[in-house]
Amino acid sequence: MTQVTTLAPPPASSGAPHGAPSRIRVRGIVKEYGVTRALRGVDLDVAAGEIHGLVGHNGAGKSTLMRILTGIEQPTSGTVEFDGDGAATAATSARPGDVRMAYQELSLAPDLTVAENASLSDARRLRPLRWRAQAERRIAEVLDTVFPGHGIELSRYVGELSMAERQVVEISRALCSDEPRLLILDEPTESLGVDAMRQMYAHLHVLAARGVSILLISHRMNEVLEHSDRISVLKDGATVLTADAGDVTEDDLLVAMGGDVRGDSPRVHDVPVVGDAVAGSGERPAAGETVATASLAGASLPFEAKAGEIVGLAGLAGQGQDELLDRLWFNGLSRRITVPRRRAYVPGDRQTSGVFALWTVADNLAVAAARQLARAGFVSLKARRTLADRWVGTLSIKGGASAPITSLSGGNQQKVLIARAFATDAPLVLLNDPFRGVDVATKDELYTLMKAEAAQGRCIVWYSTENKEVAHCDRVYVFRAGRIVSELVGDEISEERVIAESFDEHQDARDARDATTKDAGAAA
Amino acid sequence: MNALNATKTKTASRFTWPAWGWSLIGVLGVWLCIIAVGGGNPGGPVLQALSLAPYLVLVSIGQMLVISLGPGNIDVSVGAIVSMASYVSVAVGALAGPLAGLAAAVLAGVAAALLSVIAIMLLRVPPIIATLATSLVVASATLLLADANRAGADAALRGFVNARVFGIPVTAILVAVLTVLIALALKRTMYGLSVAAIGQSTLAARKAGLRVTSTIVTTYLLSGAFAGLAGGLLAAYISPSTVLGDSYLLDSIAVVVLGGTLIAGGRPVVAGLWTGAVFFVLLSSLLNLVGWNLGAQNVLKGLLVVVVIVISSRVTKTGRSTLSRFLSSLRREPAATPTPADTPALTKENTHA
Amino acid sequence: MTTLTAPRASGRSSVPTFRSRATIGAKHSAPGALSLVAMIVIFVIAVANQPGILSVYGLTLMLTAAVPLLLAAQAQMLIMSVGDIDLGIGQLVGLVTVIAATMLTTDPLLGVLALLAIVGAYALLGLLVQKRNVPSIIATLGMSFVWLGLGLQLLPTPGGQTPEWLAQLSAWRPDWIPAPVVWIVAITLVAWFLAKRTRFGTRMRALGSSSPTLSRAGWSLSRTRVLTYAAAAVLAVLAGLVLASQTQSGDVNSAGNYTLMTIAAVILGGGNFKGGQSFPVGTAFGVVTLSLITVLLGLINLSSSLQSAAQGLIVLAVLAGRVITERFVR
Repeated sequence: MTQVTTLAPPPASSGAPHGAPSRIRVRGIVKEYGVTRALRGVDLDVAAGEIHGLVGHNGAGKSTLMRILTGIEQPTSGTVEFDGDGAATAATSARPGDVRMAYQELSLAPDLTVAENASLSDARRLRPLRWRAQAERRIAEVLDTVFPGHGIELSRYVGELSMAERQVVEISRALCSDEPRLLILDEPTESLGVDAMRQMYAHLHVLAARGVSILLISHRMNEVLEHSDRISVLKDGATVLTADAGDVTEDDLLVAMGGDVRGDSPRVHDVPVVGDAVAGSGERPAAGETVATASLAGASLPFEAKAGEIVGLAGLAGQGQDELLDRLWFNGLSRRITVPRRRAYVPGDRQTSGVFALWTVADNLAVAAARQLARAGFVSLKARRTLADRWVGTLSIKGGASAPITSLSGGNQQKVLIARAFATDAPLVLLNDPFRGVDVATKDELYTLMKAEAAQGRCIVWYSTENKEVAHCDRVYVFRAGRIVSELVGDEISEERVIAESFDEHQDARDARDATTKDAGAAA
Repeated sequence: MNALNATKTKTASRFTWPAWGWSLIGVLGVWLCIIAVGGGNPGGPVLQALSLAPYLVLVSIGQMLVISLGPGNIDVSVGAIVSMASYVSVAVGALAGPLAGLAAAVLAGVAAALLSVIAIMLLRVPPIIATLATSLVVASATLLLADANRAGADAALRGFVNARVFGIPVTAILVAVLTVLIALALKRTMYGLSVAAIGQSTLAARKAGLRVTSTIVTTYLLSGAFAGLAGGLLAAYISPSTVLGDSYLLDSIAVVVLGGTLIAGGRPVVAGLWTGAVFFVLLSSLLNLVGWNLGAQNVLKGLLVVVVIVISSRVTKTGRSTLSRFLSSLRREPAATPTPADTPALTKENTHA
Repeated sequence: MTTLTAPRASGRSSVPTFRSRATIGAKHSAPGALSLVAMIVIFVIAVANQPGILSVYGLTLMLTAAVPLLLAAQAQMLIMSVGDIDLGIGQLVGLVTVIAATMLTTDPLLGVLALLAIVGAYALLGLLVQKRNVPSIIATLGMSFVWLGLGLQLLPTPGGQTPEWLAQLSAWRPDWIPAPVVWIVAITLVAWFLAKRTRFGTRMRALGSSSPTLSRAGWSLSRTRVLTYAAAAVLAVLAGLVLASQTQSGDVNSAGNYTLMTIAAVILGGGNFKGGQSFPVGTAFGVVTLSLITVLLGLINLSSSLQSAAQGLIVLAVLAGRVITERFVR
């Protein structure tokens, strides 16, 4: 890990807080990948013993900056200095274990035990014999200190743990080494429970008091504001704001990140229908006609979706919304589900269940509609191309129809996936939280598209983890513990109401969960 | 729309190296060597190769389709099926005529593949093990058939496989027509689209509404059918034997790889089957010509396969899996890296706000 | 150096107790349990058919062929635990028997160098797979041609003479315990220790399970894969030597079915193609099961033509049983 790269003269120092010397000094970091500029000049100072919050939207360059700080990648230009100035730090900063990081996507091998995972990244020496016992003791110490009462079995494979437990292990793994000079935590509380979260922050303050510098990356503004000494905002590959945590509000940060919320964009008006491209398009029910129904196990409200409406599935993540979508999509052998023959699905996870990486935009876009375009089993290339061109134009997908899908940005890839579903003549379109990590402008375009599509008689069932999005729905079902607990219509729909319904009556929810598990048991 | 047009012209002007280009260069190189060493009629070696290559191409079509289904998909039963089908073709041919014999050979191949399909789809056995088990069963069937039947191939069928039009073997022409049809089917039919899509990501193919199960089943059955057809024809071109198909397993995979089909799945290259197969057959005749023995020939073939995959992994800039390709593409475009967790989710924290 | 661990909070330590370790360990080895059951069932059937098996001599006779296969299967298991597959191991073992029956006798030094060269070639193969992202299936398939060709060059027809000391190896037959059982236990222990108890084994499984984890922790992926391939090659070379010592001759085709048999044994023993996991003990059960099946089919006077079919169907049946039990367990 060579931390010092001097390719450009460092600009004038912006100074660390309270006159303390900077533990880490980042100056004018530029990182280019081919023609893309991921970082356009990042300046950052973290003092010894400081908790420094780092916030920014997707693509702001946080991950790239972290890769450079941890020494995985070298910057194109700019400097990273440890403890003071100049070359004197080069040798010391090369010491392994200087920078420790808990990764957002978790840096754990699922087939290794908790202790084995921790031993992989532990820079300290292990004795040659009975090293496993020693490794177990080390990680056990960290776990017991930071997360007392965690209840994690160290000889389990990480793949057998719950997401919350894995997050605990990832944080403990990062701490299981010599005391680092810089600790980076990337979205550490994403799936932590409330108790573990409190324990973690308590420990961070202990570490900071001992002089460890901590870089806290999180999208949860309230946590960053509460626990950081200073906060830096990264936007488009550059630091746009650094301030004491006490001097800024959540709104200040949001504005600095460029996250102003705009109204619906009027850009999408001409919505192509597959019927235009091919004569005799399939069934399309009249508005108001019931398109899909489902009855869930336990004391759940029935699910019903009508043509011409956008039905939202809301509630805390993982409360059964996924399962309902899956059942509507695969329509297994269940009699509790009625769905139209033609359905379309927009997956949320672009990488694993979304795009076809070898194909062009056009191929990706037209693949779901191909069956309708087919005549006697043959799909006309021209018809596919026409369809793709129309949608590329309508949604102004950058790069054009013949560009490889992987050359597109995440937002544009998501546009292609949305277009794939709406390019079919399916009366029922299922959306599985597709707008995660998509920029605001694109989102607005896609919301408008969905409304236009619904107005044309399409029925859209939309699972969203972002409660703001319920505002775009005609009706919202709120899920809790695997069942629908409430149905919101018209003016009842609001973020506050959804949150209230998601958390209401904790005891009741627990009862219902028990009931559902019992039901599931009986069914099996 | 401007951006769209710009991309179009850019694509048109950019020459893309065809995936089968390397094997074509190989064919030309070996051909020139043969002419240089052996002299004689320059067309001779090629015509000779064209009489053996069709069988290899037939088997390779099925193997290519299977490999294109993505990581883990491979049919190791083709060799055993070729041997078995050769006996079926002869036995049924003696009773009901050569056409019925060929049809029976194809059906026998399909029946064998059906066993693989049952193991893969119902018992969830990995394809390599499922087709291995099938090949063991088929090997038994071959032995039984060999015991029961000592007849030779039908004279009419033998005449047919040895027939030539303008010096070109009829089988080569027919198999060429078949490969064109396959290429067309891969580009233009739902089946073809589905094969390529499944090879890139089965999960995404399911979510795009493609018929994943039926596509996989069809593909394995097709592989069995083509191996059966090749065996049925080989019975007449050579003669039935229990080891007739042995070399076809490794050769078919090698031909698919040499032809430029993406080994990680998702991109079948039909034209490459011909260049790959002709290259393989020509190479054998060249090595025979210069007096290399079987051992040395095998060493060269093996090294060639390894070298070709090393080169092609660089040329096409494609790696081991669709996923790693995709990840590397993301690395080049960090803006495209979707980090789902960055958007606030509806979680308990939000209520505190 | 100061560690991050401040005075321990009160409450019991989470270092696993023996009991929790045993419970979890049992659960982790469940995938291989079915092959143990299959092995026992087939063994019982075999004994019922031919009680003579239940003697030191009978067991020796029945399990002798399992020893080289087990060595090769453990090699395959190592390769599969980093997420790769070796389709050339059968030809490689065959080549080693040829080297043993030719060079190792005529010119021992050259023979040893040749065997070392094989290990080196495997290390190179591992480097190629890692650095150039070449699919291992095809790379090893290509190499299988090479091994076969080299074997044919050295010894076009089966024969040759193995060195005296190699013959001694399989001549060791104590009368109180079947020698193959000793070998099988010893080999399995070595493989188990390597894969499950060494730090290298941990890195190997980490490579198969999640390579970014390994590289972020500061380990070289290439080094890990190269060492894994080299270790597998050593085991494969040993398999060839043992096979040669048993047959007293060299034949490049003598282990042709090893390639698929070893994969089947690893899968039977609970392994999978995903990589990241290793089941050395399960693999041993798998190998013994497959060997017993071969012996059993001979015992029940099944027509030789039908033996391979029976073998294939039994493998499928066992795997189907595994799928079914796994469904019930979850």
